Amino acid sequence: MSIALEKSTWTIALVGNPNTGKSTLFGALSGVAQRTGNYPGVTVEKKVGEVVHDGRRWLLVDLPGTYSLAPRSPDEMVTVDVLLGRRDDVPPPDVIVCVAAAGNLWRNLYLASQVLELGRPVVLALTMNDLAEAEGTTVDVRALADRLGIPVVPVQARRGEGLDALKAAVEKAGSVPPPAPPRVFPEEFRREVDDLAATMDGTPRYLVERLLLDPGSYIVEGLELADAERDALRARLVAARARLAEAGFKTPDVETTSRYAWVGRATDGVVRRSDDLAPKLADRLDSVLAHGVLGSLVLVGVLLLTFSAVFTWATVPMDWIDAGFAALGDWVQATLPEGPIRDLIVGGVIAGVGGVVIFLPQIVILIGLLAILEECGYLARAAYLMDRIMSRVGLSGRSFIPLLSSFACAIPGVMATRTIEDRRDRLTTILIAPLMSCSARLPVYTLMIGAFIPARAYLNGWVQLQGLTLLGMYLLGIVVAAAMALILKRSVLRGGTPAFVMELPAYQWPSPVAVVRRMLERGWDFLANAGTIIFAVSIVMWGLLYYPRLSTEELAPLLDRQAQAESALETARSSGDEEATAAAAEAVKDAEAHIAGAQQRQSILGRMGRWIEPAVRPLGWDWRIGAAALASFPAREVVVSTLGVIFDVGEEVEDEGEQRLTQAVQSASWPDGRPLFTIPVALSIMVFFALCAQCVSTLAVMWRETGSWTWPALSFAYMTTLAYIGALLTYQIGTWLLT
Amino acid sequence: MIASMATVEIEDGEEMVPLSLLRAGQSARVGQVVGNIELVHRLREMGLCHGATVCMIRPGSPCIIGLDGQRLGFRCDDLARVLVRVPAKAS
Repeated sequence: MSIALEKSTWTIALVGNPNTGKSTLFGALSGVAQRTGNYPGVTVEKKVGEVVHDGRRWLLVDLPGTYSLAPRSPDEMVTVDVLLGRRDDVPPPDVIVCVAAAGNLWRNLYLASQVLELGRPVVLALTMNDLAEAEGTTVDVRALADRLGIPVVPVQARRGEGLDALKAAVEKAGSVPPPAPPRVFPEEFRREVDDLAATMDGTPRYLVERLLLDPGSYIVEGLELADAERDALRARLVAARARLAEAGFKTPDVETTSRYAWVGRATDGVVRRSDDLAPKLADRLDSVLAHGVLGSLVLVGVLLLTFSAVFTWATVPMDWIDAGFAALGDWVQATLPEGPIRDLIVGGVIAGVGGVVIFLPQIVILIGLLAILEECGYLARAAYLMDRIMSRVGLSGRSFIPLLSSFACAIPGVMATRTIEDRRDRLTTILIAPLMSCSARLPVYTLMIGAFIPARAYLNGWVQLQGLTLLGMYLLGIVVAAAMALILKRSVLRGGTPAFVMELPAYQWPSPVAVVRRMLERGWDFLANAGTIIFAVSIVMWGLLYYPRLSTEELAPLLDRQAQAESALETARSSGDEEATAAAAEAVKDAEAHIAGAQQRQSILGRMGRWIEPAVRPLGWDWRIGAAALASFPAREVVVSTLGVIFDVGEEVEDEGEQRLTQAVQSASWPDGRPLFTIPVALSIMVFFALCAQCVSTLAVMWRETGSWTWPALSFAYMTTLAYIGALLTYQIGTWLLT
Repeated sequence: MIASMATVEIEDGEEMVPLSLLRAGQSARVGQVVGNIELVHRLREMGLCHGATVCMIRPGSPCIIGLDGQRLGFRCDDLARVLVRVPAKAS
């Protein structure tokens, strides 16, 4: 391997166990200059950052957290391939930074022993020293570096400590030849690997070792051998494993035994642990937070507060955004000449996009609060608590994190199921993940709750009826998901309850930088979406609602009525009769609304809506709500912009404090004058959106993840059916209860 | 009764019992992990291998165990049985 000294760009790969602060370190090293994407063909997130050090460009690659470099899936193979420089899209790493937490150095060094065998320059970044010391563990850094034969640098990424030393160590490690790989395995095993490697030209020694250790790994397929060669290789592997078992080195046990023995030698006398057996702070916290009853109460409380906060904190910025869009609309209205173009910009683009962008504060706040809960280590406890319940429906607590991610967005949620080994458990989790109320549903909930659920507060304002309703919608998704999991695990995906092992990371204060970064990322995704899909759908929706226009003949009687009402208003005004003036003004408004209504019914969307109206009538919906629901099958957040386009037809803002769309839906009515939206109707809409599979992107990700259209089709069919039944029951029962 | 059925007497006055029988705060060394081969290997990679000291933090199912400074949430069931060595009870 050549020394990287003369190259102008270095590639630095970061690898480490989960919960070691690796991503924080990556963020601290690369600053704002980072990109996220995907490795083609797999769903591993590709995180790349850049930094200039000493006149040289460093390309930082953050690899997913892992306990071991034993590839059991195509995803895990990506990490190994990047580290070995076997991928075309990432240059071979010049230096590997192995991130290890000081608190459980044993397990972290297990991975380090694998990284060292790759034969590249390695620097060990030792994180969380303060936490380890608080718990009575001290690491002799210099002695550890001597034993491992690589630089060891303590870092506190959050406070920026040790970063310069780490960069200097990386610079130095890349400028000298890599250290000789450690002799982890017994002599007999190494000889078998050497013999195999001699017959496999060009295959890195580490992969040969893995071939011997991992039966059924993905490596053989990746070697691009002819069938005969592959069979011959398999036969040789089987024979070699048999010889090793004979000698007392059974695979795969020999790996863990040898590596932990090596780790034991490397840390002997280097790591000191106090024998103080007093319960740690974390355990005292866990005695409440992980307690079956208390912990569950805390979990419900935490979620309740979270969702209440989403509602209360977002009000002010939402009013700003709304006022901004209203002002923009007024300005365009006043500037451009009357005609379809002005109507398109005001009624289509500004009303549509504005109606969705207004929910940005809520989404960002929800993402931020979830990120804080994850960062401080609470989410793992929630998964632990949930295992008891999840195992009842045939899943493990491990499915909880993908499901919880789905509250932000089902796409990362579906992708996060890759950590679930069992195929049936993974498919079940994927199928129920879209039932979790994602942030795109939040706009619908917020609109309906804000407009129709009374703002009552209990317990000194800590708990609010609106927050409770929102929580209810989230709980509905969860309960239905549990029922579906139970059904799926007993029918199409029959199987036992999977195992559950999960690290519960140390409690710590969340890093504000990481939380803000997540909020910005998701917020930006949302805006980008609003700028493209929602923008396009808004325009299409506006067009479908605007054309065809009423013909002159159809318009004439309506205009006559309007003219009559206006002249009556003039007469009333000049006579000075206030009562008559008010009545005449009402008549003018009526006539205008009548024209707008006739135009809408005449439009393409109006016709489609009226065509499906018989089907949505039992849900308490009129054709407008039906059309909006129909239009939101590509992406559910579109419903708000569609409602914005349908209801926000040039109506005046009457009360400055209230948001325009909220006001518009509150005043919407049936042709006979009854208010359109009642509480049962609002709830029925929310239930429909809570359960319906209205997201093309999610279905596409499901297809990519499962490699078949069966699962997305199944998901779409069952969710849409459930949504209709749920909305029907909600409206019918709600109406019956309220009358 | 159940405990005595599940135990296996071994040398040096120690016996092997399932991890789930440890009381809160009790420590023991891992003797053997048996079950699904991939799951067992994963547990061993995480440090739950022969000779490692585990401490029961919260018994139950799932339980919380302490292992080299880390805390693991772990459901004790038939998929992977962790047997630990404890001093044999004088009977």
